[in-house]
Amino acid sequence: MTRSAIGDPDSPSETAPGRVPALEATGLVRNFGPVTAVDDVSFTLDEGDFLTVFGPNGAGKTTLLGMLGGGLRPTSGDVWIRGTRIGVRSGDWRHRVGVLSHQSFLYGHLTCAENLWFFGRLYGLEDLETRVPDRLEGVGLRVRADAPVRSLSRGMRQRLALARTLLHDPEVVLLDEPYTGLDAHAADVLRGVLSSLKDGRRTVVLVTHNLGQGLELAERIFVQVRGRIVFDRPRGEIDAASFERRYREVVEGAAGFALADASPKAR
Amino acid sequence: MNYLRQLRAVLWKDLVVELRTRERTISMAGFTVLVAFLFNHALDPARVDVQDVAAGLLWMTIVFAGTLGIGRTFQLESEDGAFHGVLMSPTPKDAIYLGKVGANFVILLLVTLLALAVFGLFFHLQYGERPLVLLLVMALGILGFVAFATLFSAISSGTVMGDTLLPILLFPLLVPMVIYGVSATDRLLAGRPVAEIAGHLRMLAAFALVAVFSGAGLFRFVVEE
Repeated sequence: MTRSAIGDPDSPSETAPGRVPALEATGLVRNFGPVTAVDDVSFTLDEGDFLTVFGPNGAGKTTLLGMLGGGLRPTSGDVWIRGTRIGVRSGDWRHRVGVLSHQSFLYGHLTCAENLWFFGRLYGLEDLETRVPDRLEGVGLRVRADAPVRSLSRGMRQRLALARTLLHDPEVVLLDEPYTGLDAHAADVLRGVLSSLKDGRRTVVLVTHNLGQGLELAERIFVQVRGRIVFDRPRGEIDAASFERRYREVVEGAAGFALADASPKAR
Repeated sequence: MNYLRQLRAVLWKDLVVELRTRERTISMAGFTVLVAFLFNHALDPARVDVQDVAAGLLWMTIVFAGTLGIGRTFQLESEDGAFHGVLMSPTPKDAIYLGKVGANFVILLLVTLLALAVFGLFFHLQYGERPLVLLLVMALGILGFVAFATLFSAISSGTVMGDTLLPILLFPLLVPMVIYGVSATDRLLAGRPVAEIAGHLRMLAAFALVAVFSGAGLFRFVVEE
């Protein structure tokens, strides 16, 4: 995981020589009034990397993800996707990003297929006749293609939201607490789909406060507390038990309070 | 081509959602019929010539009904963050805006046809030999109205004051539309020649163009975080 050669923020690195990282954050800060939700976060991810960001509630994880996906404007700092600075140029970089949020971003009064068709058109996709059934098949919802989204369970809706996120085959996938509210079966299905994202082509950032789910697929681990990244380690360098211990130390130390049980088995 | 495809997708989605929920259409249609019924009983035909006030009543009913319905344009969008998903797509913001204006225009045009029907029934209005010209006047007026209302609906939906703020922002801008719309409608209902309202039509068209272009240009500043 290398830093890119980006220097001048007005000269996107796609014009610079050398390797262009899939996703790069440089000095990201986001303030909400007097509160600093994200405080000077910088990192670089290459193609195929899978980063999990842990942190307690209110750590700024969702805010960080919002800025990485272009949904939230940083107070200062920049996000670069394949060398294109978010927000500076046209929306072309949006083709490269898929975001799965707390919310499904789906229309409850449209059917599953209609939602994918709609978003497919917004992304300018041409092969929706084959792509929509394929994506529905991929998340196990092909038989519910004509069901209105509002009739789906929370788990089904989350799977459809994942299909929408991946519909345009994004290079960078941003996942915000994707397991929230899912039962064990739905979580297993979702885990299978997320595993398939580790295909070496996609760069994934997963945000969660659940250690067990977050560690399963991670290749690199961040811990964010009070907006700052206070822990950054490749997954291979630390086992789950050690990480849990370190997590508690790091978070309690940085936040100044004792954590509740954060067992890796907790779902 | 992709721009038009994206615009059409937003327009299609808004119309399909409205067709399935009928939330805004029913409230606007109900309001229109109710107002026509109340005016019909409130105005004494022995003392007031309803032909003299019909155009004004018609336009005010459409403006208030439109404010009621178009003001809710972005409330349905907030359900489960759906509109956020649209904004995160590569669709140009002006294409999103124009798609929504198109859908709102179709919905309000239907309500306008209903208003013409019920006012015609209650007030015995004769739409004369030029109903298409009258429809053109109404269409130009409501296009300008919808363009501003959609923009300000996006602004007001993100505020605490919400529905209260919309008319405060919107109504001052509607003065030219109401003046020229009422005047042209009044003349048409009185059977005056079309040439007499040519200037009104030009002003209504200019109002609609200004509203649509300024709305398309400003929308991104409203919806971007």
